[in-house]
Amino acid sequence: MPHQLGVTIRAPVAAKQVAPLRDWLAKAARSGQADPLFAFGRMHGLHFAKLFVLAETADPGGEPIAASLMLMTEVDAPLRPHLAELIDVGGAGIERALGFCEGYPGPGAHRRTRIAWLRRHLVRASAVYVNTVGRGLQQIRQEAHLHDALENYLDQGDWDGRAADDVRRELRAQVAGRADLAWAMKPPAPPSLRFRLREAIHAVAVPLAVWALLPALVLVLPVWAVLLRWDERRDRPLTQRPTLPHLGELASYEDFVTQNPFAVVGFVKPGLLRLVTIRVVMSAIDYAVRHVYNHASLAGITTIHFARWVPLDGWRRMTFASSYDGAVEAYNDDFIDQVWWGLNAAFGNGVGYPPTRWLFWGGARYEQQFKNTLRIHQVPVPVWYSAYPALSAVNIENNAQIRAGLRGDASPAEAEQWLSLL
Amino acid sequence: MAVQLDLDDIQGLFARGYGGHRYARFIVFAVREVAAGRALLEWLLPQITTAAPFSGEAAVNVAFSAAGLRRLGLPDSVIAGFSAEFIEGMATASRSRFLGDVGESAPRCWAWGGPQQPPVDGLILLYAADPGILERRGAELVRRLTELGISETTELRTREHGDTEPFGFHDGISQPVIAGLPKAAQAGRTVPAGEFILGYPNARGQLTDRPLLPSSDDPGRLLLPDPAGSGAVDLGRNGSYLVLRQLEQDVDGFWRFLGRAARRPDGTEDPGQRTALAAKMVGRWPGGAPLINAPEQDNPALRDDNGFTYHGDPLGLACPIGAHIRRANPRDSLAPGPAAALDTTDLHRLLRRARSYGPAEDGGHGTGLYFICLAGNLGRQFEFVQHTWLDNLTFDGRYEETDPLTGSRRPAGGTFTVPARPVRHRYRGLPRFVRTRGGAYFFLPGVSALRYLTQRPDPGGKHAGN
Repeated sequence: MPHQLGVTIRAPVAAKQVAPLRDWLAKAARSGQADPLFAFGRMHGLHFAKLFVLAETADPGGEPIAASLMLMTEVDAPLRPHLAELIDVGGAGIERALGFCEGYPGPGAHRRTRIAWLRRHLVRASAVYVNTVGRGLQQIRQEAHLHDALENYLDQGDWDGRAADDVRRELRAQVAGRADLAWAMKPPAPPSLRFRLREAIHAVAVPLAVWALLPALVLVLPVWAVLLRWDERRDRPLTQRPTLPHLGELASYEDFVTQNPFAVVGFVKPGLLRLVTIRVVMSAIDYAVRHVYNHASLAGITTIHFARWVPLDGWRRMTFASSYDGAVEAYNDDFIDQVWWGLNAAFGNGVGYPPTRWLFWGGARYEQQFKNTLRIHQVPVPVWYSAYPALSAVNIENNAQIRAGLRGDASPAEAEQWLSLL
Repeated sequence: MAVQLDLDDIQGLFARGYGGHRYARFIVFAVREVAAGRALLEWLLPQITTAAPFSGEAAVNVAFSAAGLRRLGLPDSVIAGFSAEFIEGMATASRSRFLGDVGESAPRCWAWGGPQQPPVDGLILLYAADPGILERRGAELVRRLTELGISETTELRTREHGDTEPFGFHDGISQPVIAGLPKAAQAGRTVPAGEFILGYPNARGQLTDRPLLPSSDDPGRLLLPDPAGSGAVDLGRNGSYLVLRQLEQDVDGFWRFLGRAARRPDGTEDPGQRTALAAKMVGRWPGGAPLINAPEQDNPALRDDNGFTYHGDPLGLACPIGAHIRRANPRDSLAPGPAAALDTTDLHRLLRRARSYGPAEDGGHGTGLYFICLAGNLGRQFEFVQHTWLDNLTFDGRYEETDPLTGSRRPAGGTFTVPARPVRHRYRGLPRFVRTRGGAYFFLPGVSALRYLTQRPDPGGKHAGN
């Protein structure tokens, strides 16, 4: 099975094209699902896709930043065929959207020219969270089919009074004997050896580097902490509430299916101190999501399918984007209650964020100020695609466990436990 | 932690559901002119029942929608201090999708409160100890409305209040116990008053957003100061958001479905099984006993039992994970674990004040519930419970299942799973048993705020109604 990529393509949009692009994207949004105009459903290994506009703005120093179009996809590796498919399969929708961007060669140009243009506009994420690393789209779909098939089979029988291991035996025989299910008797293939090697080296190398730098860090940390606390006391948090039209636009794209898209963008507080802080924090998050939170849970939150942090404009701005289960209110509450410290460490470096203390404390714990600030910075995602709109991340993990439980022998207690997954 | 509640300034519905006053009528009205609205409020003010100890023969409370507050002369700059959900109202397209008010439950099909229907500006809740008093007070009220030229949008007549809702289940058992009210003394676990009324610390120890005015807007010093010490005056203090929804219950359809689903193998009806399946859907037996403590059969001794948790039943073998009461209040059963889950659940409690209605003699309005609840934060409380718990297709690991009792349905119907050994029982094709027939968000102001609304200075006089 392949590993997953968070692909970000960003291209500037000329000022006079912004309004037409927005109007067109709003019309292209059809009840929260972008298909079929964009043909996302025909692209291989594509889990989620988003298209949204970042408005023209100016950084805290007054430097203008042009409007841009963001195309984000979560897709199974490798990258090259995905970029080609965006052009070859993407259909009228993608072509039209990119046509609003400055310098896009357009449908008349050779496909290789257009693919090269996409490649030039790739933006590197500083961290990409994948609910379960290595679980590809095909696996998610196959295991959902396995779940449905077993549930339907159970519906047809009368099982009362049967022993659990006896029921399990019958279900195993059923799976093994059906051409559309027999694959489930084998475990899913792991990601490529190259990917696993790279990750293993990273998992060891980063702690080694930190260890080597430890003497220096011991000297630097107290100075950094004092400077940071001093900086925090000068912060100017936002106290406004989001406007009703903004909330209305966000809500008009939310809550159609099990998952929702999320995207926020904001400025990093100016100055070297915050730049260093956020880069260190992002490295820590990158390490954590690759090696610690890489299976079914982001520090206790089990509702996130994908998330990414992308620095923009030379780290003057940060984007955070995700696809998550349920409503935004519940999503925010989960963060506030369970990973407030992680949230503060990352977003606390953003302009307008609720006041933090020593980077980790305060911040998101100011519930309403935090929710208001987040909503204000949230960007509407008019075009969004989900490859499995009915499945929560918990459902997907449960399906994987059903498959895993098919293999080998099970004690009566284990068989009983396994049947409770159905 | 001992919060002093200003009971004389809080409307009574916060402290009690007026259970002893078994006859009730809710009047939804529309105000055309500021002067008339203020005159009505002035007339109502001395009659308002507060949260202080009370023993009258009738109780009156009054609440306003955002449109109604505008009608009373509040400018948009003040309205903007209320929550977005309240200002936007219950019947926006996005909110309807969110709340599951779709298909036949969509606002365009509502009996009141929908688009192109008479405005919903205010709500008077009238409770009485006997039907005669209700008739007399109701007639008096309607006469006063007519004199003032205020039109009645709808009059919601309730059935005599008992402890059983129309499907036949003992109801209203579980309520949050509010710190600072008398009942809190005997209770183990309490919820801070600020979860339900504005101007007091909520469950996160913070003050919920509320409408604040510069003190220059209150020359008569009628409003209470902002407890946060900003120097502003607090129009929200001692007030609550009030959710009213008319939920029509298809009682025949519910029992018919259960009768079919619980048939014996030979096809004959099995009343015992039918009741047992109904109990699985609700999470309590019709008599009230919770399945957690009475998994096999009803137990009259446990009819008001509310001292249970779910962590001992993680798979839902006693009380299904999708059962109505487990969704509406999952207690300690959600992630990350029992102790933390209880704290999380406290952020999503509702103070329920429902009354049942019907069946009407003329068969007009059907049968159901006037669902009423109070909340300090509509988004985190009522809307969260409705969307993230009750109507959530993937609640706590479920697959494409909404609340078996109240949930919206996909075209193919609903699904309900009863966990069992060795294999669960899955019921499919559930029709929608509860339909939304009307609804609105109101604000139930404190008494000082009501008084302020009657006397608010009106710069320019352009809202004076002439």
